[in-house]
Amino acid sequence: MNAALRLWNLRVWGPYMRATARWPALRSIVPFLPLLALWWAVAAAEVFPRAFFPGPAEVVGAFFTLTYKGILPEYLFDSVTRLAVGAAVGVALGIPLGLLVGLNRGAHTALWPILLFFQAIGDIAWLPILLIWFGFGLTTMTFVIVYTVLFPIVLNTVLGVRSIPIDLHRAARSLGASPARVVWEVVLPGSLPNIVTGLRNGLGYGWRALIAAEIIVGTSGIGFLMFDARRAGSVVEIMLGMIVLGILWYIVDAWVLAPIERATGQRWGMVQRQ
Amino acid sequence: MKSLVLKNLSKTYFDPYAGSQVTAIRDVSLSVAPGEFVSLVGPSGCGKTTILNMIAGFLPASGGEILVDGNPVRGPGADRGVVFQSFALFPWKTVLENVAFGPKMRGVARAQREAIAREFLELAGLSQAADRYPNELSGGMQQRVGVVRALANHPDVLLMDEPFASVDAQTRMTLQEELTRIWQERRTTVLFITHDVAEAVFLANRVVVLSKGLVMTEIDVPLEHPRRWDAMMEDERFKALSALVLQKVRAA
Repeated sequence: MNAALRLWNLRVWGPYMRATARWPALRSIVPFLPLLALWWAVAAAEVFPRAFFPGPAEVVGAFFTLTYKGILPEYLFDSVTRLAVGAAVGVALGIPLGLLVGLNRGAHTALWPILLFFQAIGDIAWLPILLIWFGFGLTTMTFVIVYTVLFPIVLNTVLGVRSIPIDLHRAARSLGASPARVVWEVVLPGSLPNIVTGLRNGLGYGWRALIAAEIIVGTSGIGFLMFDARRAGSVVEIMLGMIVLGILWYIVDAWVLAPIERATGQRWGMVQRQ
Repeated sequence: MKSLVLKNLSKTYFDPYAGSQVTAIRDVSLSVAPGEFVSLVGPSGCGKTTILNMIAGFLPASGGEILVDGNPVRGPGADRGVVFQSFALFPWKTVLENVAFGPKMRGVARAQREAIAREFLELAGLSQAADRYPNELSGGMQQRVGVVRALANHPDVLLMDEPFASVDAQTRMTLQEELTRIWQERRTTVLFITHDVAEAVFLANRVVVLSKGLVMTEIDVPLEHPRRWDAMMEDERFKALSALVLQKVRAA
């Protein structure tokens, strides 16, 4: 047993750690290999009819076909643009609102219960009424995404603002900072780790809400692609859509959000490294 | 180098749990001469920190007057530098940026304020740490930064609120010795809050003992600066003064 463990460490774990140190991308890919193998095996064994449960090869094939036709890039672009616009508007509204509610006692008293109330009416619960008001279009989808992204950002910004030790405010003031400069020099950077957490949650929820909205509102996008494939009975394309969703989120998280966290809260010792 | 004068200062506040007014500071009058180092010592709950917070402008006074160089205090201002027990360094700024913060708020250009900051870091032996973040430093180093950050802004009065209470005993002695050296070089007016009798006597020209929101007694400390602990521990005058202050604090 011990010998086997030593052999594993020597022959497998050690080389794996060295390889991932050289090519960090491996760390994201290798964990999926067993899953991929299982998928391939189940499909190849034809446990389920092939049309119901296609294997990796068919999905890759669909990926190339749809990419060649231009459908996948176009839909992907539509979805990502919607999310980016929604996130940008959500951040532009959410951070100032969060600062206001976090800093101003009156604003907190007046707005906090309202924020909690509307937060509870989750994203797609708005769809029925939005479809009546705005119809099946971009306005409806933008509203849903902005709404979904907004609340985690506002609530986390408020939390961040309120978690800044009072001595930091006082230190800045007694070093000559005006109240307005305290917001810029202390409140904003001090709540940044929480804002990033809010952004991470908001984008995660927003991404799911977007797909749901695309399925229902349906003009283009990855959600629409999957729903359209259902109508055509194409399980391959549905699976492709699901995999694209997962990969895209992984990229956003690993390439955008995690580096921001490393460069801010973790660097400053305000957030513990995992 | 400016004077600090407290005239009949008082502070009462409403305690929402007790449902009544509480008197924290009854009636405190105190005069700190330009360039003087005064320690304010007393048992916990005697109102030391409340007084400092009012002088710094963090809390409004309920009655009386606070004058810095003859001007009444209204809110926080750069004329009163503060060193906090919690250090209160900005975690997202490097050591250099922390020390340059005061000059930055005064509108000093980047190159110039960084030169000022480097000069003061040199004073505290921190030149090597300039580009590090506060969380990468030991507690003693962080509070050195806290002290020079306040000094780099050339305050009229330096207010120190138990600044060495949360560092280890050896580091505390070193910081106290460094403070007497820096004070001797720069002669800033200092009001130093502490509950540590030996620290109060070691640092100050004068020790003020506070009790239940009132000044109980004032004791002069005619020992020469800079002071060193190895010499002070042998010094009969230091021992006698410490014993006297301790007796007053215990009676407080």
